[in-house]
Amino acid sequence: MDKTLASFIATLRNADVRISPAETLDALNAVELTGYRDREFLKNTLALVLPKTADEKDTYDTTFEQFFKFAEVSGESTSSVSIDDEEGEGEGDGEGQGQGDGQGGSAGQTNPGNSKRKGRARFSAASDADHEKEEDLGSGEMSNPVSNLGKLLMQDSRVELSVQMADAAKKVNLDEIQVFTQKGLYTRRIMDQMGLPDLLKEISTLKQSFNLPDRRLGQELKRRQEWLREQVRDYVERQFLLHADATGMRLREELLRKVKLSNVEHRNFRLIQEIVYRMAKKLVTMHSQRKKVFKRGSLNVPRTLRRNMSYDGHIFDLQWKSVKVDRPKVFAVCDVSGSVANYARFMLMFLYALEEVMPKVRAFAFSSDLAEVTELFDRNKIEDAISKTLRDFGGGSTDYGQALVDFKKKCLDDVDNRTTIIILGDARNNYGDCKQDILQEIYQRSKRVIWLNPEPRNTWNTGDAEMRKYVPYVHQAEECNSLMHLERTVGNLLKAVQ
Amino acid sequence: MTDIQKLAESVDSLKDSFEDHRYICSNQIATAVYLAYHLRKPVLIEGPPGVGKTELAKTTADMFALPLIRLQCYEGLDEAKAIYEWKYGKQLLYTQVLKETLDEVLQGATGFRESVNRLHEFGDIFFSEEFMEPRPLLKALQEEDGCVLLIDEVDKSDHEFESLLLEILSDYQVSIPEIGTVKARAEPPMVFLTSNNTREISDALKRRCLHLYIPFPDVDLEQKIIHARVPEIPPQLRTQLVTFIQELRDMDLKKVPAISETIDWARTLLLLHTESLDPELVRETLNVILKFQEDIDNVDHEISTLTQKAVSAN
Repeated sequence: MDKTLASFIATLRNADVRISPAETLDALNAVELTGYRDREFLKNTLALVLPKTADEKDTYDTTFEQFFKFAEVSGESTSSVSIDDEEGEGEGDGEGQGQGDGQGGSAGQTNPGNSKRKGRARFSAASDADHEKEEDLGSGEMSNPVSNLGKLLMQDSRVELSVQMADAAKKVNLDEIQVFTQKGLYTRRIMDQMGLPDLLKEISTLKQSFNLPDRRLGQELKRRQEWLREQVRDYVERQFLLHADATGMRLREELLRKVKLSNVEHRNFRLIQEIVYRMAKKLVTMHSQRKKVFKRGSLNVPRTLRRNMSYDGHIFDLQWKSVKVDRPKVFAVCDVSGSVANYARFMLMFLYALEEVMPKVRAFAFSSDLAEVTELFDRNKIEDAISKTLRDFGGGSTDYGQALVDFKKKCLDDVDNRTTIIILGDARNNYGDCKQDILQEIYQRSKRVIWLNPEPRNTWNTGDAEMRKYVPYVHQAEECNSLMHLERTVGNLLKAVQ
Repeated sequence: MTDIQKLAESVDSLKDSFEDHRYICSNQIATAVYLAYHLRKPVLIEGPPGVGKTELAKTTADMFALPLIRLQCYEGLDEAKAIYEWKYGKQLLYTQVLKETLDEVLQGATGFRESVNRLHEFGDIFFSEEFMEPRPLLKALQEEDGCVLLIDEVDKSDHEFESLLLEILSDYQVSIPEIGTVKARAEPPMVFLTSNNTREISDALKRRCLHLYIPFPDVDLEQKIIHARVPEIPPQLRTQLVTFIQELRDMDLKKVPAISETIDWARTLLLLHTESLDPELVRETLNVILKFQEDIDNVDHEISTLTQKAVSAN
């Protein structure tokens, strides 16, 4: 199988583009047809076969540019050792990565960035030093290098160097790089593989030589060796971003799914939001297929005739045309006081991300008084609506009794036997009146009452927590404090309401 | 070498030929058609409304001189409408007519078993091709010299229908329980599916297709398109109106104007013998490009600045 294509596809998968084996085969066929000669043609071709959503196309574009970048650099044969040029490329890398993953400036990326910058600083210092010395020697005739790498460096042939570098990288299995601390290691290995020891030996011999051309050569080689190191470092950096960074990202996501939502740091909110949307999307595709055929609408004549043919054309099994989606209601009642606010944030985010398949959601928020925030969500973006809700209603001391009274007053009449009510809260009532009789009333009228409690089960009845009074009047009480829990609960909810 | 093969020889020849048919396309689009032809794969086209998704299929049919068979998708579309249906009326009529002849057929048969055997000799006459009404998908497979099959707005159909499409998309065949599997004739159809992304298309369907995303065109491409579609329009005005539209697309609108709207507007302006854009004229013809009163109100304040920008772009 085509190795380049395979590793390109692996890279794409790493960048969260989903590619099935069938699509890999398609890509192979397509490339067989088009060949690698024309870069734009190749890009257009693979763009049709591999990425299958608009988002994936964006990721694909950046990844393609990154992946096939090396080929382009080696293609142009201008060989001036210009530092500015290199730096421009480096910045390009950073940007590309930021777009690709949709989250620049997070912790995982600052580290590699820093180390790179340090490396650059050292490099320019070194080259400055070399410059000074060079002036001492003056320009003039130079001897010819002996070692292989030396010859290569003096040939000014970027193409040849690039090829050698890629070869060396393959030999040291660069694509297995995992964490950024390995970058230095791989850089050295590649240099060694390319024949650095011989070059160093040569340089040190040349430096001790009394012959002026020899010493000039020594300096020149030293300078070019530094340049080469920088090149290799850049190469490793690029490969690292392509191969390993997403692996690290996945690890982090895996962790975030399990971590308690109240402990999520602010800088991870964006990432969590993405995870929530992705989870929601999964649930959407899973559940949007279940629609119910309803006995309403106009008569489907052909189907009726066909169905009734077995009854000698006597029509008594009627078939109807309309396919109707049953849309029950979901009421989300969220405690938004300090202790639970974060959970409320993510649950609301989840519920509203499911808009497509979720029945009509009405959201209520309370800390002491309860208010409906549905309209807020209809009019604003989810994130804005959530922060507005938390700002306006959060912060008071919780009073579940009052909240239930308000709920009864506001919308108990709207609760019917197709309504599911989700209550999110820790049931810490500050020793106030629980009013569990209202919950009982709700319980009797609704289809389902689900209580999500972010605290672990064994603390549900400690201190001022009143779970034991509420639990008899809910159909289901769950501990819910991580994205995983949330996904499970919402998944079950979808199953139940549809 | 047939005409089609000659046309589809390279991406450039396709692109030129599209231009001859007044469809200006990017390399990406031409590549899609090229691959669709050579790999025999359906193309799923996505993009905002009005960028020429349906037009691409139509033009392809035109260019290859193939018949275009179109299936418009909507909620509730099922196999009876898309693949085949039995001619129920004919079946009923024939059973009535043949009731009398039944006695003759059964004459001389003794016992129940023999009678049934006799009837079996006639096979499933009522469920043969004679009684079958082919719908677009089946029709496309039955075309002798191939055709272009356009499955329009596949996102409007139900999930069940999507699954129904899988067989025809991957193997160019449909299975009809009473008859068997119907395979495409010599030349399988070229299939185009379009989607406005009102809902996510299933992965299974996407996997079987090439995926082409057509975005709004950039200034140059749009100019070319207008030039191809409304050749009579003076170049100066063309630049102005394209610039204007491009500016509009950057604004926060409920529905941004698409290429089809640009073309309509160009035709309108031509009809009004316009030489150059001016605010008053734009205001009067704004309803050609904007389809929501809300949008029109929003743009209204900006008209003079936008027009100025467009005019100075020349």
